[in-house]
Amino acid sequence: MITPVACDPAVDAAAMSPVSVATTAMGGRLAIHLSAERDDLRALHDGRQILARIDRWAARLSRHLEGSELSALNDDPNWTVTIRPTLGAVLWAGLDAHDASEGFVDIALLDARLAAEGLIPAATWPATHRWSVRFGPGRGAFVQREPGIRFDLGGVAKGWLADRALDLLARWPGVAVDADGDLAVRCAAGQRWAIAVDDPRTDNASLAVLNLSTAAGTLPARWGIATSGTSVHRWGVRGSVRHHLIDPRTGNSAVTDVVQATVACGSALRAEALAKAAVIAGSSEGLALLERAGVAGAILLTDRDEILALPSTLALLDQTGEA
Amino acid sequence: MTSARTPRPGTAPRPVPRRPDPTRLRFGLAAGGLAALSALITAIATPASTGAPVPAVSTPASAPASATTVVQRRPIQYVQLAPGQSAPPGAKVIDAKAPKPITIVTLVPAPAAQQPVVIRTTQSGKVIP
Repeated sequence: MITPVACDPAVDAAAMSPVSVATTAMGGRLAIHLSAERDDLRALHDGRQILARIDRWAARLSRHLEGSELSALNDDPNWTVTIRPTLGAVLWAGLDAHDASEGFVDIALLDARLAAEGLIPAATWPATHRWSVRFGPGRGAFVQREPGIRFDLGGVAKGWLADRALDLLARWPGVAVDADGDLAVRCAAGQRWAIAVDDPRTDNASLAVLNLSTAAGTLPARWGIATSGTSVHRWGVRGSVRHHLIDPRTGNSAVTDVVQATVACGSALRAEALAKAAVIAGSSEGLALLERAGVAGAILLTDRDEILALPSTLALLDQTGEA
Repeated sequence: MTSARTPRPGTAPRPVPRRPDPTRLRFGLAAGGLAALSALITAIATPASTGAPVPAVSTPASAPASATTVVQRRPIQYVQLAPGQSAPPGAKVIDAKAPKPITIVTLVPAPAAQQPVVIRTTQSGKVIP
């Protein structure tokens, strides 16, 4: 149940019933929640329309679907490949994520990921993976890359899709888009969205609840909340435990003390990149990186069962008890 | 040439003024010095402050009141060298102009289970019951 909560006494909380639509995509859930009257047919229409559009984009960006644009790019032996603008935009977003994460997020490491899973032999490291994307004069884009480079968009695509869906729902001041746990939220004036940070140790438990609010009389605020970690996608290979977060410095599953990291900032794409970077970097270096990035908040769970947070996070924690 | 005054005839010699006994003052100064030295030693020997205190996070009305502890930790992670100094083995050296890293350990209050939440941020692929 999704409930945007009124934090302004002038706003009638009972009048704010959410309209939610959801489907399954990208190997997880994809949901849109609109703060509107429960019987608002426009909200239902807009939510379904954007959900279908995002779902179609997600299918193009999946490496697990043989007919996807990403699979076609990964299978193409040519150095230069023409791609459609949506894939080009997400590859571009991958470069943004690489910069925002100080190099810890690299979408060109599919082979290292598959090697970590034991599906293909490990390549020598560091592997060269120079590539670029540029947009042509028309609607197309071009990828240039060294032979053998294959892409895994993963969380970058989810963050990008969440942000894009929020853009497409610009007419709605209160919106939350859930792209498999990576969230893009627009908080209308006088509203508060409560975001539970999942506790991976216990089913249906939370490490904390983050409150995203916008003061009455101000413009809607935009947020990105994302979580990354090593406790869901993990497996054993020849006696060793591995996970899906590849450290670009080693080409292997990151050796880290961070089990899970959650970041709150201005966009889902950036939050996802920084959360992943914090896990790969480890708690000490990761917190320093997050502080340099100026995030609004971050909560890390370590393998010592510590919950670490940046000081800025305290402003987002539930301190009112009004919920 | 020296000049020595002789008392006038018929006048009694002036009594030599007595100087105050310095013993009491010396004891006082010694005690004050010991107190200052003791304070100085205490300031040097005591570990540095762990940073400005963070106000305790109040829990929601329905949350357990015991889960309100907020602990702040500022570990030494990096070495900043002064001119002429060299780094100890294994130390990570940072630029003096770089922002100082801060690590905060916060025991976040457990959220109330009955909160009307909520969207949940999770790792990808996590199945929510």
